[in-house]
Amino acid sequence: MTTPRSQRSGPSARLEGRSGESLEGLLRELGASVARGGGVALPSGRFPTGLAAIDDALGGGFPRGRVSEVVGPGCCGRTSLALALLARTTARGELGAVVDRADAFDAGSAAAAGVDLERVLWVRPRGVPEALRSVEHVLQAGGFPLVLLDLSSEAGDPRIPGVAWPRLRKAAAATASALVLLGRRRLAGPFADLALELDAARPRFESGPDWLAGFETRVRLVRSRAGPAGTDVAVRWRAA
Amino acid sequence: MPALPLAAELRAHPELAGRPFAVAAGPGPRAEIVAVSPEAMRAGVRPFGTVVHARAACAALEVRVLSPALEQAARAALLDVALGASPRAEPAPPGAGVFAAEAAVYVDARGVSALFRSEAGFAGALAERARRVGLPACVAVASSRSVARIAARFLAQRAASEARSEPKASGDKDREARSEPTRGFASREASEVIENDADFLAPLPLDLLNPDDALADALSRFGLRRVADLLRLSPRALAARLGPGVLGLLALARGEDCAPPPPVPPDLRLEEASDLEAPLERLEPLGFVLRGLVGRLAERLACRGLAFGDLELALGLEGGGRDARRVGLAAPTLDERVVLRLALLALEAAPPGAAIERVAVASVGRTVGGDQLDFFRPAGPAPAALARTLAELAALVGSGRVGAPALADDHRPDACRMEPFRVPKPREPAPRPAGGTLALRALRPPLPARVRTAGGRPRWLESALANGPVERASGPWRTSGRWWSETERFAFDHFDVATADGWVVRLRLDLVAQRWEIDGVYD
Repeated sequence: MTTPRSQRSGPSARLEGRSGESLEGLLRELGASVARGGGVALPSGRFPTGLAAIDDALGGGFPRGRVSEVVGPGCCGRTSLALALLARTTARGELGAVVDRADAFDAGSAAAAGVDLERVLWVRPRGVPEALRSVEHVLQAGGFPLVLLDLSSEAGDPRIPGVAWPRLRKAAAATASALVLLGRRRLAGPFADLALELDAARPRFESGPDWLAGFETRVRLVRSRAGPAGTDVAVRWRAA
Repeated sequence: MPALPLAAELRAHPELAGRPFAVAAGPGPRAEIVAVSPEAMRAGVRPFGTVVHARAACAALEVRVLSPALEQAARAALLDVALGASPRAEPAPPGAGVFAAEAAVYVDARGVSALFRSEAGFAGALAERARRVGLPACVAVASSRSVARIAARFLAQRAASEARSEPKASGDKDREARSEPTRGFASREASEVIENDADFLAPLPLDLLNPDDALADALSRFGLRRVADLLRLSPRALAARLGPGVLGLLALARGEDCAPPPPVPPDLRLEEASDLEAPLERLEPLGFVLRGLVGRLAERLACRGLAFGDLELALGLEGGGRDARRVGLAAPTLDERVVLRLALLALEAAPPGAAIERVAVASVGRTVGGDQLDFFRPAGPAPAALARTLAELAALVGSGRVGAPALADDHRPDACRMEPFRVPKPREPAPRPAGGTLALRALRPPLPARVRTAGGRPRWLESALANGPVERASGPWRTSGRWWSETERFAFDHFDVATADGWVVRLRLDLVAQRWEIDGVYD
């Protein structure tokens, strides 16, 4: 249905003529209800950690819909890296899940790292089979863009049946979730699209009186489907 | 529902359908038979005889002992069916005399045409829903409760006589002719709408109005058999000859019933129970009983559009003991497998102390609500999918091991608790965290350690984790609290320690227990 020109009124009538002037006039008329530029940041294909050196090395962050690994010895900073990732994810309003087979998640530490605890689903399985099935349930539910599976234990890494990895990879891809594994050594093999290895950290103590100020460590990208591996960056962690 | 004992047994044991069975008032061969299935009636078994006589009439007769728990559950299920169709429903007063075994529910049918197209549709839907939960109910819609109840009785009697007169299956031909075994009451024509109460009531026998024995005898002596016979006479004359009790019968015959059913606040706590024939000492057979109970409870919840909330499990034990426990659900669910698994896990974790004679499961129905999501913010999981996932996770890892972490208002180290996980409301994105904060991994439980100190500071550490000389240490930092409680008071001196073998740990001296422990690892 069209309206005869003579009957048009309001903003639509003023769009005729030179479009730039008409648009400016429209914006003036709409006033404060319209803002220039900006916009809601919709989720992209990568999860940044907030650590510029690591995000640059990863091409923006951990990939969605893929399996990634973060491995290293006992005190290397992998938990700190995982919490930084979780903090950035929850800050955006998205949900994260922590499948904590090691039962090592510390809420106080997570809160200090900036994690919004309300947006975290914490699952505490008692063994590896429960942990793997928990991850599958969480991935299949959808709505958890980031799932951390903490398999590391001070007693050593568990044995994971090989058939688990293709299933987890498929589940992560189906829901476009990033599944990040934490361990002392690489477990997912070729099923991980990305793998970071962290060296043993050097603690920094400051004096007057002595206090643990933080860690320094090196992070190496040892596997990446998206590009060349081998990047090596230094990272500093500071105590909360 | 005309024969509650039969219906209750059939609901709990559907394998009895099509077989001759009877319900006895108690155990033993001299117990009185209180209800007989149509198949048993055709074989010559009659109520009010003894079990011995009944078995003599029918060798294949199966006798069940009357179960108040099953009857109560069947009554409650009937009410659930009604409440699933209309918010105004209430149990009818129990029947008396020949209708003592009757169970009935009044449902206010005003306004149902909007949902069910017509009153006939409403009645048919109610009957079908009742059948689906295992209750062969007859439904009548009339302008008053009394007429509706009389009409439902009439339908039930008609159905029962049709069922009794059906020939016994004698071969394959007969089996093919019947699509399902007789359940005691014909499921066809189980509902009716009474358009004109007076026209409906007039030809009915007076027995349907359930007069007491003396009045029934008097009416019979006067030759009054039908409702129309009674209505032709003057009330004053009837009362003079038969006593004032006949006036109540007259009111029923006229269909006079002014009070509408009051709105009954629905009780959202639903219970199913079963008295076991023999005490159970092992948990494996209990699983079968629980499966039946949980299944029936799920049907009733589904009738009312509800899902399982926390499960209450009550076991009656041999010797009079009782075991009551509550099984929490992370989220409402209608998934029976998850609920059953949680119940069995709870029983396996803490088995009852004696053999089990009675099992009851109850749940307060909860709604699986929807969430108003934000069009422009990241969406969380769908509420139904999240509820199912949380319930499955709870069944997998234990109900206290899945949820959202929360800091506890406590100075104790590792003071955190787990709360039920709920998708928080969308909000504006928070300021980006600075990143690079050093994290601590908790050790649960803390790892024992042997420590050599010098000047009050650790110098050498031995444990299952970190060993060797302490290169650097900071601390102590003291935390203490609950000093007023003998059992809960705590006091720790914490140190951050780096050992020569590369570990950086949080070491604590428990000043109450006087022991060293590692309660965290910096990673």
